[in-house]
Amino acid sequence: MLRQETEEKAQNAIAVVLRYGSMLSTLIMALGVALALFRGGAGSPTGGFAPGTLLGKVFQFDPLGIAELGILLLLLTPVLRVLAAIVAFGIERDYRYVLISSGVFLVVLASITTALR
Amino acid sequence: MDLTWLRLAELLVLGAFAGGAGSMLGIGGGLITTPVLTLVLGVPIHQAIATSLCCVIATSSGAAARYVEQRLSDIRLGMTLELTTTIGAIGGSVVAGLLSREALAILFAGLLTYAGSSMLRRAFRPEKPTGDGPQTYTVKRLPVGMVGSAGAGMISGMLGVGGGVVKVPLMYLMMGIPFKVATATSNFTIGVTAAASAFIYYARGDMRPVITAPTAVGVFLGASLGAHLMRHTPSRWLIVAFSVIVFYFAVIMVWKASHGGFPR
Repeated sequence: MLRQETEEKAQNAIAVVLRYGSMLSTLIMALGVALALFRGGAGSPTGGFAPGTLLGKVFQFDPLGIAELGILLLLLTPVLRVLAAIVAFGIERDYRYVLISSGVFLVVLASITTALR
Repeated sequence: MDLTWLRLAELLVLGAFAGGAGSMLGIGGGLITTPVLTLVLGVPIHQAIATSLCCVIATSSGAAARYVEQRLSDIRLGMTLELTTTIGAIGGSVVAGLLSREALAILFAGLLTYAGSSMLRRAFRPEKPTGDGPQTYTVKRLPVGMVGSAGAGMISGMLGVGGGVVKVPLMYLMMGIPFKVATATSNFTIGVTAAASAFIYYARGDMRPVITAPTAVGVFLGASLGAHLMRHTPSRWLIVAFSVIVFYFAVIMVWKASHGGFPR
């Protein structure tokens, strides 16, 4: 009974991560879009995540920079989902799937590192 | 491309349509967004693919939360298949950077044709009726599933789709997974696959926020709506209409590729 409860809690936690993560990223993208419409967005072409320049753009209220931030968050939502699954499996003590999910996470991490400048 | 009100409206509507159709049919919507972006709105195909990948993630995130709640998604199976899918996705994304626009267009046309015919087959061959309660099943032919998933991943990375159009039949027809579970699981995994692909496109500079952001917002809205409607299976004519559109895109893609329709 207790195990079923934690399993349900884990499932709910995953659902929460999905929903709020994507909502937040959508809001930020929408904000960037709105700013671009009303202030005329400039923004330099994107290519790779250079933390300095991206955050710089955001703080300068560069509309496309903000939109780009939203996009990055969107891209990270599934990654968070995998992390949440790892934790959930850990709580359920299903170590086989902790391992499998971690493998997936590592592959996606490899992809992310190509985007780092 | 500047962001005008008209452009914004176009992208929002495109996104909403793709998100709605995608979440109802268990796919990511990339099959719609890539052709429309590149054929109708003149977006270079690599950038269209980058945007479509984001749309797939938006569809997946918008719909998946409800499916997990509804306990339909088989997360264990999904994760297992994602091991090979994500590797395929990275490979596909890298290859896409090496291919010309025309080559990608032709490959996309092939995928569209496959997707359209597989949709039609699904429409005219009713699935075995399953209850709405918890499904019991055993996973069969996992190795085949893993290999097929790698292929689905490659397609995702190369063409900006979620891979669901390959994975749902794979799970349902080959692996003995009930249809609704396959669809729900696919909705959940395509996001991970698309993310693995998307970072590579982002690194390559193919991601254009001015195109991606409005479309993704539209997708999120459409997918959230579509997930509500998913409880009622899409009617046959809807699937047929979808297939017709998809075949039409395939033809246009090939035509444009062979007539220099993707200028530098």
